[in-house]
Amino acid sequence: MTPAISVAGLTRRYRDQVALDDVSVEIEAGSITGLLGRNGAGKTTLLRILAGQEFQSSGSVSVLGAPPAENEHVLRRMVFVREDQAYPDFKVRHALRAASWFYPNWDAGLADTLIADFDLGPDKVIKKLSRGMRSALGITIGLAARAEVTLFDEPYAGLDAVARQIFYDRLLADYAERPRTILLSTHLIDEAAALFESVVVIDRGRVVLEAAADGLRGIATTVSGPVLAVDEFTAGRPVWHRRRLGSQASVVTVGQLDEAARARARSLGLDLVPLTLQQLVVHAAEWPASPEGADLEGASA
Amino acid sequence: MSTLVRVARYHLVQPFQYLVLAWMVLAFAFVVNVIIFGITPVSHHTALTANGLVSVASMDGRYTGALCSFFLMFLVLGVQSIGRSLPFGLTLGVSRRSYYTGTALLAVLLACADGLALTALQAIERVTDGWGVNMGFFRVPYLLDGPWYQTWLTSFVGLALLFVYGMWFGIVYRRWSLFGTLTFVAAQVTVLLGAALVITWAHGWTGVGHFFTGLTVAGLTGLLAVLAAALLVGGHATIRRATV
Repeated sequence: MTPAISVAGLTRRYRDQVALDDVSVEIEAGSITGLLGRNGAGKTTLLRILAGQEFQSSGSVSVLGAPPAENEHVLRRMVFVREDQAYPDFKVRHALRAASWFYPNWDAGLADTLIADFDLGPDKVIKKLSRGMRSALGITIGLAARAEVTLFDEPYAGLDAVARQIFYDRLLADYAERPRTILLSTHLIDEAAALFESVVVIDRGRVVLEAAADGLRGIATTVSGPVLAVDEFTAGRPVWHRRRLGSQASVVTVGQLDEAARARARSLGLDLVPLTLQQLVVHAAEWPASPEGADLEGASA
Repeated sequence: MSTLVRVARYHLVQPFQYLVLAWMVLAFAFVVNVIIFGITPVSHHTALTANGLVSVASMDGRYTGALCSFFLMFLVLGVQSIGRSLPFGLTLGVSRRSYYTGTALLAVLLACADGLALTALQAIERVTDGWGVNMGFFRVPYLLDGPWYQTWLTSFVGLALLFVYGMWFGIVYRRWSLFGTLTFVAAQVTVLLGAALVITWAHGWTGVGHFFTGLTVAGLTGLLAVLAAALLVGGHATIRRATV
């Protein structure tokens, strides 16, 4: 399959900092990808460049087969609602009406359903909405646009748990009906983990992990138990992280554990807990510096 | 529907700002002036007509000049059309070029329609002896005082010019914020200063004076149209790299 989004050697420098440093990423068409990383890692800058709102210092960007900047053929097939999206002096219904003119696949029925779900009054002035309600408007536009490439930047900042669940449910339901390429940045990694088919982790402007979500399940495991048993079990395995507390140790090992290894761990009286996606992301940021750094490229296969 | 028309419609989806606000400002200025001129005595002078000597109300000092509030509103609207509305416009998948051209299209259509409305109001003013109080509100000596088509053309060009000028300010503010905007103003002052110095060194002020005293309203309108076109080109060059 051809990638819907393809970025090579992308760098964005601002006066005194490098927001993106030689980023190369490919996103398959028809997938939901999580763009993960800490605050200031470069997620928003990457999304803005993909949406043609910001320009790269160097490198190449291709969305739906062409550079997006000032390219209406690409731009009109893509939707990007920013976390801090600025609106004119509009009411909610003005923003939705304007959006309906510009997105060729706009689904007014879905937009109506969503604003009802989110309890977002069409006659409310956008400027006076709470942060959560503005996020709800962004989500409504992003989903109802039904654009081939849908970019969400922290789409649920300020939304309560119920509204976030509405977002996950609607996103999956609509995605099942109309598959498209969705790239979603978020901090709430574990909560959204079930959505992602693949993840891209950025740290300090660099891609530190790009993998299929399935390949990441069980890719790293926390082994805990008596120090000697843990040491015996982890000998010869790549290790990210060790923690010792008295006679107990807790070690993060990398690599899938086969049935034999699990049986052995049981016989040694060890606890095995797979790392969650969120923990993986936290560790991924430290990888390049880790002397015992494991090669996770296999995970993307 | 072409993208340009869609952009123009995008601005008008909330029509109050573009279709109502400037007229509200003008209506307020109008009412204030009607009241003031209603209580200010009109001076008369005698004139020889076919009916002999008659007393005619003099228009000396009866021009308000308050019409400039309407023109300044166009400058404000121009700033807003970019400064406030560009980010969501780009979110809607419009290129900067289309956004700019579509917004300029709105400027031309608005200036054309509102210029026509001002022309009609001027005609009413003439028929009603200055709204019954000998007030020159929609008539401005020299500038907007000729036949209807000239009033229309001059107000159309003036309104469009100010809108486009405002657009350029909006782009500069979006791209370089306050410091950039101040620099932009300083650059314009510097250009004017440079021109004044050159004229002085070349002993050209007499020529300049003659040029402007000899300039007809039609000629001035033509000059303003050229200036508007130049501003349009400048704004277009600036928006190409604007980020939101």
